[in-house]
Amino acid sequence: MSPRRAQAASAAGLLGPATCVVLLMLVLPLALLFRDSLNRFDTIQLMIETVTAANYRRFFAESYYWEVMRTTVLVASLVTVLCVALGLPLAWRLARTTSRWKSLWMLAVILPLFIGSTVRTLGWMILFSQKGVLDGVAALFGGHVDLMYTATAVVIGTLSVNLPFMVLTLQSVFEGIDVRLAEAAQGLGATPARAFRRIILPLALPGLSIATILSFILGMNAYATPVLLGGPRFKMMAPQVFTEFNTSGNWPFSAALAFILMATTLLLTTLSNVVIPRRYRA
Amino acid sequence: MPDILTGLARRGVSRRAVLATALATPFVIDSTRARAEETFILGTWGGDYQRLMMENIEMPFLRKQGIASVADIANDEVVRASKLLATRRLPRGPMDVACVSAVQAFQLGEAGVLEELTPEKVPNLAHVKSGLATATFAPHIWSPQIISYSPDRVKSPPASFGDLLDAKYKGRFGFPTANFFYAMMGASLFTSGSTTDFAKAQAFMSKLNAQGMRLYPTTDAGGPPFKTGEIDVGVMWLARIAMWQNAGIPVAAAFPKEGCILYVSGMVIPKNAPNKKAAFAYLNAMLEPQAQLGFAEHMGYLPTVTTAVLTGKVAQQLALPDPAPKLVAPDYAITAKAYDVQHDWWQKSIEHT
Repeated sequence: MSPRRAQAASAAGLLGPATCVVLLMLVLPLALLFRDSLNRFDTIQLMIETVTAANYRRFFAESYYWEVMRTTVLVASLVTVLCVALGLPLAWRLARTTSRWKSLWMLAVILPLFIGSTVRTLGWMILFSQKGVLDGVAALFGGHVDLMYTATAVVIGTLSVNLPFMVLTLQSVFEGIDVRLAEAAQGLGATPARAFRRIILPLALPGLSIATILSFILGMNAYATPVLLGGPRFKMMAPQVFTEFNTSGNWPFSAALAFILMATTLLLTTLSNVVIPRRYRA
Repeated sequence: MPDILTGLARRGVSRRAVLATALATPFVIDSTRARAEETFILGTWGGDYQRLMMENIEMPFLRKQGIASVADIANDEVVRASKLLATRRLPRGPMDVACVSAVQAFQLGEAGVLEELTPEKVPNLAHVKSGLATATFAPHIWSPQIISYSPDRVKSPPASFGDLLDAKYKGRFGFPTANFFYAMMGASLFTSGSTTDFAKAQAFMSKLNAQGMRLYPTTDAGGPPFKTGEIDVGVMWLARIAMWQNAGIPVAAAFPKEGCILYVSGMVIPKNAPNKKAAFAYLNAMLEPQAQLGFAEHMGYLPTVTTAVLTGKVAQQLALPDPAPKLVAPDYAITAKAYDVQHDWWQKSIEHT
């Protein structure tokens, strides 16, 4: 076997199993889901096989679904912005610290990921509800706090889920940037802030864009947090997909909603790539 | 782990033997279970309901017959119903017994996916209270829909759905959104005398919504607000009131004078159930008086068979007032078809406002 063929065979051997798993576990179910989205719903028969775009038309024709999508994009965007604002300095500090407590700080950042999202959300519920912890503290000062079933609660809850992902990604990116570059800039007269902005940040942008996309995707697909902290009146797309599937039993429409959510997330993620200059992309 | 293996090796047990034993253990356990018990698939709700099914139906009645269930849990009955509909053409279905409400059972019956149930197949069906069973549905539990209220803050409880519109309950009325369809039937009964005038029910619910009606994401979430003082009145099953009272929540039940909508939950057997013999045995055990009393005691649901008689504290807690309230069963032929339209309206016109 020629070296070139051997290389190709080795590549196929390495890529093959993962490709097969992706094809079987992702592409095939997605193809089936897409086929379902073209069917017609019937209360008694569940699904009538046909090829119609009616489920997709319904989404675009009814303002309710647009509003649900708008809320979803707004929450995901806001959470992502907050994640960057809070995660960036934290990740920078963690990457640069030489403290012996560094591993403890890292553990504190990833600790929320050790708990399931539903259990973590239940903790927020105890904190946010009427006569809950926050309300109890506020009552000591004659005030009243009831954050349950509000957009604020959903944003805080989702932020707590996404922030560790942002910090972990950025921290590893900052660790990989040579600290001497910033020192050289400061040696040439740049302030620490200017050195960070002009040297470190551009180098970290590819990683930052990945962390941002990750947070945005997680926000777009949030389920337990909007259901439990937002309540029935706060509508986001993932719970809406589930409601159509679970409560209405409308598989074709729920499949169409799932595809629309996926397409919107992909589209916005691609657009964000356009905004970032080519040389800084991941 | 390597130390343990080394230790065992010193005792003359090879690493391969240890690993082979560890790998084979689950299969050995599983095959023992399979030999000892005949299994069937039970599609059910999880949580307390499933636990009580195990404690009150399976363990006392079926295990001695060598029958054990394998649970297929989904906390929404629509998932089970959809699964039965999607697999209706398969020779072997995914479930032997499915737990569903009477509304859902009617819909499945209409679709022709359910096995007909007779006293020949399930002898205890002969004892079922009239009006609860259908040709394909065995009722397990039932409870009337009542108006829930805080006895501490509401001295004169509402006497009908109409009283909920009283200005004093502005922002103080709430219930779990999952119960919306039954609440709408209750509203329809008050406004029109029938359970299916959904136009009038929509108008009524819109008025309540405009008064700051509170909605909760799960049934369990509907109880604590009575304790925290968030709401004073709501709509719920009598069974839940008993459960909440037992959990220390100060709440009481008022029976609307126009009538109480009946919530009936039970079990069905799909035509393509792989193990119908076990399924029939399970339904029969479910209708045994002792099994029924267990659910009344722990979940507050009323028995569906005449042979189960409540006594003591449970009888007192679940007693219907004297004179007996009007109990109204939903018109299943209409509700099965109306549900989706009303759910769509509820989402867009009530929840999203």
